[in-house]
Amino acid sequence: MSQQPRFPCGHTRREFVWEMGAGFTGTALTALLAGDGFFNQLQAGELPLPDGRGSEGLMPKKSHHPSPIKSVIFLMMNGAPSQVDTFDYKPELENYAGKDLPPDKEFINSGGRKKGFLTPAWRPFRPGGESGLLISDYFPNVRKHADKLAVINSCHTDSHAHGSALVAMNTGKTFIGRPSLGSWAVYGLGTENHDLPGYVVILDKRGGPISGQPNWSSGFMSAAYAGTLFRPTGTPILDLAGPEHLDRKAQREQLDLLAKLNEEHLSSRKGGQQLVDRINSYELAYRMQAAAPEAVDLSQETQQTQDAYGIGQQPTDEYGRNCLIARRLVERGVRFVQLYSGGGHLEETWDAHESIEKNHGRHGAEVDQPIAALLDDLDQRGLLDSTLVIWGGEFGRMPFSEGKDAPGRNHNPYGFSMWLAGGGVKGGIKYGETDEFGFEAVVNPVHLSDLHATILHLMGLDHELLTYFHQGRKESLTDVRGHVVEGVLA
Amino acid sequence: MNVRTIFLNVPPFLRGSIGQLAMSLGVVFATGPSTVAAPPEFDWDIAPLLIRHCLECHNDTAKTGGLSLMSAEGMQQGGDSGPVLVADSADESPLLQRVRTGEMPPPKEDESQALPAHEYERLRQWVAAGAKWPDGRVLDPYEQTTESRAGRDWWSLQPIKRPQVPVDSEHDSTMNPIDGFIRRPLTERGWQSAPPADRRTLLRRVTYDLIGLPPILDEYVAFEQDDSSDAYERVVDRLLASPQFGERWGRYWLDLVRYADTCGYERDQEKTRAWKYRDWVIAAINDDMPYDQFVLAQLAGDELPDRDESTVIATGFLRLGTWNDEPNDPQEYKYERLEDMVHATSTAFLGLTVKCARCHDHKFDPIPQTDYYRMASAFWAGQIEPRDRKYLGGPSPEELGFDVFGWTDRGRVVPPLHLLKNGDPKHPLEIVEPGQLTAVTFLDDSISPPPAEASTTQRRLQLARWIVDESNPLTARVLVNRLWQHHFGEGLVRTPNNFGFNGDAPTHPELLDWLAAELIHPMSQGLRDKGQEPSAISHQPWSFKRLHKLIVMSDTYRQSADHPLHDEYAGIDPGNRLWWRSNRRRLDADALRDSLLAASGQLDLTTGGPGFKPTIDPEALEGLSKKGGAWQASPPEQQLRRSIYTYLQRSLLPPMLTVFDQQDTTLPCGQRDVTTVAPQALALMNNDFVHVRSEVLAGRLIDQTDSVDSQVNEAWRAILSRAPTAQERRASLDHLHLMQQRFQQQRETPPENQTPDVSPQLLSEGLTLHLSARDGVTTDSDGRVEGWSDLSPSGHHASQPNIESRPLLVDGRIRFEGQQWLALDGQLLNSPEHTLFAVVTDKGTTGHRGIISNWNGAASNSTSSVFLGLTGESTLRFTDAFGNAGSVTNRDRPFLLSAVSGPYQATVHQNGELIGSQSQITGRNLSTPWVIGQQGNINGEYWQGDIIAIVAYDRALSDTERQQVEQWLMREHDIEVEVATPTDPALLALASLCHVLMNTNEFLYVD
Repeated sequence: MSQQPRFPCGHTRREFVWEMGAGFTGTALTALLAGDGFFNQLQAGELPLPDGRGSEGLMPKKSHHPSPIKSVIFLMMNGAPSQVDTFDYKPELENYAGKDLPPDKEFINSGGRKKGFLTPAWRPFRPGGESGLLISDYFPNVRKHADKLAVINSCHTDSHAHGSALVAMNTGKTFIGRPSLGSWAVYGLGTENHDLPGYVVILDKRGGPISGQPNWSSGFMSAAYAGTLFRPTGTPILDLAGPEHLDRKAQREQLDLLAKLNEEHLSSRKGGQQLVDRINSYELAYRMQAAAPEAVDLSQETQQTQDAYGIGQQPTDEYGRNCLIARRLVERGVRFVQLYSGGGHLEETWDAHESIEKNHGRHGAEVDQPIAALLDDLDQRGLLDSTLVIWGGEFGRMPFSEGKDAPGRNHNPYGFSMWLAGGGVKGGIKYGETDEFGFEAVVNPVHLSDLHATILHLMGLDHELLTYFHQGRKESLTDVRGHVVEGVLA
Repeated sequence: MNVRTIFLNVPPFLRGSIGQLAMSLGVVFATGPSTVAAPPEFDWDIAPLLIRHCLECHNDTAKTGGLSLMSAEGMQQGGDSGPVLVADSADESPLLQRVRTGEMPPPKEDESQALPAHEYERLRQWVAAGAKWPDGRVLDPYEQTTESRAGRDWWSLQPIKRPQVPVDSEHDSTMNPIDGFIRRPLTERGWQSAPPADRRTLLRRVTYDLIGLPPILDEYVAFEQDDSSDAYERVVDRLLASPQFGERWGRYWLDLVRYADTCGYERDQEKTRAWKYRDWVIAAINDDMPYDQFVLAQLAGDELPDRDESTVIATGFLRLGTWNDEPNDPQEYKYERLEDMVHATSTAFLGLTVKCARCHDHKFDPIPQTDYYRMASAFWAGQIEPRDRKYLGGPSPEELGFDVFGWTDRGRVVPPLHLLKNGDPKHPLEIVEPGQLTAVTFLDDSISPPPAEASTTQRRLQLARWIVDESNPLTARVLVNRLWQHHFGEGLVRTPNNFGFNGDAPTHPELLDWLAAELIHPMSQGLRDKGQEPSAISHQPWSFKRLHKLIVMSDTYRQSADHPLHDEYAGIDPGNRLWWRSNRRRLDADALRDSLLAASGQLDLTTGGPGFKPTIDPEALEGLSKKGGAWQASPPEQQLRRSIYTYLQRSLLPPMLTVFDQQDTTLPCGQRDVTTVAPQALALMNNDFVHVRSEVLAGRLIDQTDSVDSQVNEAWRAILSRAPTAQERRASLDHLHLMQQRFQQQRETPPENQTPDVSPQLLSEGLTLHLSARDGVTTDSDGRVEGWSDLSPSGHHASQPNIESRPLLVDGRIRFEGQQWLALDGQLLNSPEHTLFAVVTDKGTTGHRGIISNWNGAASNSTSSVFLGLTGESTLRFTDAFGNAGSVTNRDRPFLLSAVSGPYQATVHQNGELIGSQSQITGRNLSTPWVIGQQGNINGEYWQGDIIAIVAYDRALSDTERQQVEQWLMREHDIEVEVATPTDPALLALASLCHVLMNTNEFLYVD
C-alpha cells in the first residue's frame, strides 16, 4: 500500500511545502510548482496549500491503492427504513408476534414513544437472483438485482434521533460541523470534470433532511469541497442563469469586456497568479452554465430509458428522474452523488411511526423501480464496475410496534441494514446478523465508521491515511474508529 | 518531591531543541557540555535523552512493553521481557542492546530512529557507571520539547520579554519600531522593502482594512490633495473613530467565537437575543475596551464585582456554540458542550488546542488530560444539566438577572467533575479539582473555592484572570498576532489558533514579543509624526486601537504590493514571509457584499439590533427540512444593511456569503479561507443581488446626467473610485452601444419563446375553475348575485342562497361590501401543487380579508387551509405558511394576483410582477368546502372590494404558462401594467457596464 511521501520531521509534503513558505499567495507557488510536475504527483487528499486554501485541491489525484471506482451514488433513505420489513428477514418474529422484547435487551425509546409488541414483517420476503437473497415485497424490482447486492444486516450507529443520526451517517459524528462523506471523496480524489461540481446532492421535493446544510457541508475543509445542491430540472445550480435580457450572447459580451479590463489591471501588477485564477474562473463558470443544464436534460434519453426509470409515471417520476440524472452525472465524471428519498418530517420521509405498510408502501413504490433501473442501466453501460451504489437510511426501526396493534415502528440505532453494489463489491451476499428479533447487531457488527472506512476503501482511499490537518490535529472521516469490512469486498 | 520543581533546576539550555534554544536564549549553547569528557550526569545528559527518545511510549500511563522509564523504580522493575539492566555488564543490558541495534527507538514510517553515536555513548557510559538515578527523581514527559512534541519549554510558553528595537543608521530614531524588526532580516539578505504605495492605493487599503468599506470619492480627493505631513495619520484617526471600525473588527471576533443566531440541528431554534452579544462586541471595539476587560467580561461577566447588563451579555460567548435539544443521550451531551466551551476559550484567548486532551494527554503539546478537565471544571459549574428545551441549554433571564442571552453558574457549589477514560462519559475515573493549565510554569495554576458571599463558583473569573495576567505568555502574543494577520493577510504566526507544536513558528519572533509587550506595557511613541498628539488613541494597557495605529502607521504596512524585484524575491520567498511587499487581498464575503451596496449608493449604515434575513433563492431553501414559512426574508429596505447584521441561521447560511468563504459557524475560525472557484463567478455574474445593485446605480446615473460620456465616467467613479483611462472609456462606450443595440432589438422582436396570450379554456390541463364577472353571473331582482357559473368544464359553480349574504353586481364586477360571500360546489383542488389567479380591487384597510378559501375550523384545518387574501393595509397572504407574501400596490384599481404553489417554491405575482416567493408550501388540507369573499366557514374576514375573475389550476403552472394566462386575464379585464422592471435599453446597457465593473478584479482585490 502506498503512503504519503514523508518529509523531514515526519511531515507530509503538504505541510513541508507550507512551511517552506507557501503562505497567503499560495497561488504564486502553484505556478512555481506546476512547472516541476508537482501537481502530477499529488497523492490522495494531498494539498499544495495549507488547510485547503485555493482550488488546486480539486484536481484529480492518485488514490492510495488501485480501485476501479470512480464515482459513488448514495441512495439516502431519509427517515430510516425498517430492516425487518425490507432486507433483514426475521422469521422468528412470526412466533414472537404480540410478545415483549426480552427485558435484557436495553434500549432508548426515542422520543418517549410507547413500547409495543414484537411484530413480524408487514410484507413477505422472497428470494431474488441466483443467490436467493431474501428481500421483501417493498422492493420487488430491486430484488431482481439481488446478485449485485452486498446486504449488510449488522449496521449500528450512535444516535436514535434523526437530526444527529443523519449528520452522523453523512459526516461520521453525531454533531454538526464536520466534512461530509462526499467532501472527503472529493478532497481525496479531486474531480474529473471541472465543468460540473464534483459533489452533487439532490433532495426530495418534500424537503431537506433534518439539520439541513451540515449534512452536505465541507465542515472545517475549504468550501470548495462542499456538496452542491442540484435541482433536477431547468437550471440545476444556484445562480446558473441571470436575468432574461442577458442571454448567452449578451453575457459573452460582458465577459469579453471583463477580460479586457482584467488584463489591463493585471498588466500593471506583479505576481498576479490569484488574479489570473479569477479570470479563468469566469470562463469555467461560463462553461458550467452550459454543462449543468445539459446534464439534467433528460430529453436526450430514449423513451425506453425514461420508461424503465418510471419517468412520467406516478409515483416513480421524481426519484426516477433523480436516478437517471445520477447516471448522467456519473457518466460525466461527477465524483459523488447523493439522492435523498424522503424530505421534511415524519411520514413525508421513511419515518414510519404511524404505519409501516402505509409509509414503506408509499416510499418503496416511489424508489423501487427507479433504483432497479439505475442498477440495470449502470450495468448495461459498463458503469457499474466503476460506480459504487450505497443504499440505506440513518438508522433502522424497532422490531416491535408503538402500542398494541399499532402498525408503526420507532427508531432503532442498534441494528439496521444497508447495501452496497458496484465495482469491488461482492454481490449476492449478506454480511453480519442481528439477533433473532432483528433488534441489534450481534454477528460481525458494522458501526457506521466501519461502513465509512469500507466506502473509502472501495474508492481506493485508506481511511486512516486520508487526513485533513485542522487546528493542530490530523482529522479524518472515521477519527479513531473504523475498520474496513473485508467480508463485502469482491 | 515535586516534579516541576526539579524541572526548574534543569539547566535551561538542556530544556529545548536547538530551535527553541535560539528562541529563548539566542546564543549561549556554544558553551554547552557536549565536548566535556566528564562522566555523564543524569539531569544534564540522561534525562533529556530519555525524555526525547523513550518516554513517549515508556511512561507510567502507556507503559509499552510493560516498561516505564519515568523513574528509577520503573527502570529497575523492567518490562514484560524482564530486566533492562544487567548488573556488572553494561553492554549486555537489554536497554543498551536494543538501542545499539536500532531496535529502540523503533523506526517510524520505515525511517530509523536510532540514537546518534554520541548519545548512545553517553547512555553507555551512564549505564556502565551504575545507571545512577537521583533519589526520587521522576521524569516528566512534558519537561522538554522533543522531535515529536512540545514540552513546557516551548517558545510560546516562555515569558514575553521586550526585545531591543533594531535600529539601522539609514533610518533615524523616529522610525516605527515595527519597521526596525522587519527591515533587519531584509537588510541581512541585501533586500529592500517595496516602495511606498501610492496615495490612492494606500487610502483604499487602510479604509478597507479598518472599516471594511471603500473610501468615498471625496475622501480620495481630499487625501490626494492634502500635502500636510500628518495627512495619513488624520485619516487613520478618523477611521479608528468611525462606528464602522467596530463592525469590521467585530466581525473577525465573531468568526472566532463561532457566532450564529440559531442553535443548529433539527429545530435550529433562534438563540434569543444573541444579537445583543454581537452589538456588545462592536461597541467594545469601538470604545477601545482594554483587552483584559474584554476577556473578563466574556468569560465571567456575571461574576465581576461590577457586573451589569452589558457584562452579562458578554458571557453569551459561552453560549454561541451549536446546541442540540435532542441529543442521543442528554447526560453524555453535557461533555460535548464542555468540549465546545473549552475549545472556544482555549482557541480564542490562548491559541492552544486544549480539546485534544479530552481523551488522552495531548499528543503534541504539554497538556495532560487532567488539564483539560481542570479547565472544563470552570464550565461544568454552569447550567449544563439537561432541562426543558425552552431554556436553550443555558440559564434563564431570571437566573441571569437580566433579559439577555448569557451564562452563569448553577450555584457556588456544584457536583465534582470526573476525568473520563478515553473521554467517554460511560467511564468516569477520578475527580479532577478545578485548576489552570500547567503548561505555563510560572503562573499560579490553582483555582480557589469561592468566597462565602459569592453566588457562583468563581472558577471562570479565576480562569479569566489567569488568562489576562500580564505574565501569561500566550494571551498577548495570540492577540497581537490576530491583529497583525487581519492587517496583513497573514500572521507573524501563520496558524493563528495554534501556538503549539503543530502550529507555525513565528516569522519574526522578536517583533511578536515586542508587540505583545507593547500591548501590555505601552511605552513606545511609535508614531511617525512626533509633534502630533495622537488624538483619541489611548495609552492604556491592552488597548486595541493603539496597536492598530502603530501597525498601520508603519512603513511595512504602507509599502506597495508590487516590488520591482518581485520575481527574484518571490522565487526565494513566495509566501512573503519576510514582508518585502504588501499582500494583495481579495475582499472577504462581508466586505464584498457591503461594497456592492456602497457602489450602488444604497448602503444603510444603521447600527445594532436584530439581524435582517436576506432573500435566499428558493433553490437554496430546498435544503430546509421544514419548508412553509421556515425562511421569511426581511423587507428589501432592511436588507441594505452591512453584512455583519445578517441573521445567521445554522441550517441555512446565505449562499452569496458562503460561496465567498464566509466562516463556518460551528467552530472557532481564526482565518477565513480564500478560494477561487467557479461558483463565485456564477454568483457575481448571475445573482439578483448584484443585478439589482447595477440597475439601481445605472438608474441613478441616468437621472443625474443625460450625457453618455458622463454616465460612463460616473459609473467608473462610483464602482472603482476613479475615472477610466482613455482606452477603458472607449471599451466602456463600445460596450454601452453594443448592449443598447442588443436590448433595443430584443425589445422590438420579442424572444422566440414568447408565445401569445392563452385563455384558461385553451390551457385546459388541470383547469378546475374559471369565474368571470363578464359571463355566467345570475342576479336576483335586487341585482344581487345568486349564482356565478364556472366556465371551466369542472362545474365548480358559485352561489349564495341567503339573500342578505349576496354580493352586488356592479359594472361587470361583483362587489363585496359587508358580510357577503359565495359558496363553491365540489372539491376545487386535490394537488399540493396548484395555481390561483384572481382579478380584484381592495378597499380594506385593516384585518384579514379573504378572496378564496377553504378554511374550516371544525375540520381542523385552521392552520392548514389554502386561501388567498389580504391583511393589514396591503399584505398578501397565500396560506398561513406564506403569511407575508408581499405587498400589493394600487389596490383601488383592478389588479391581477397569481399565486403558484410549486414543487420547489411558492410565488406570488401582482400584474405579472413577482412580489413574493418562499420555499414550497406543504401540509395543506384541501378536502374542506371552498368559498369566495370570506375566510372559509369562519363567517368573518370578509372581502372588501370587487372580485372580477378567479381562475384555478390543480397543478403548478410553469412560468411561461402563468405568463400566458396572466396576459390573457389582464387584457380581458383591462388591467394596465405599469412597467416596474427596467426595460429601457439605455438603462439596461448602462447597468450591464456597471455589472461588469462590479465583477472586475480591480473591484474585488485590494492592493
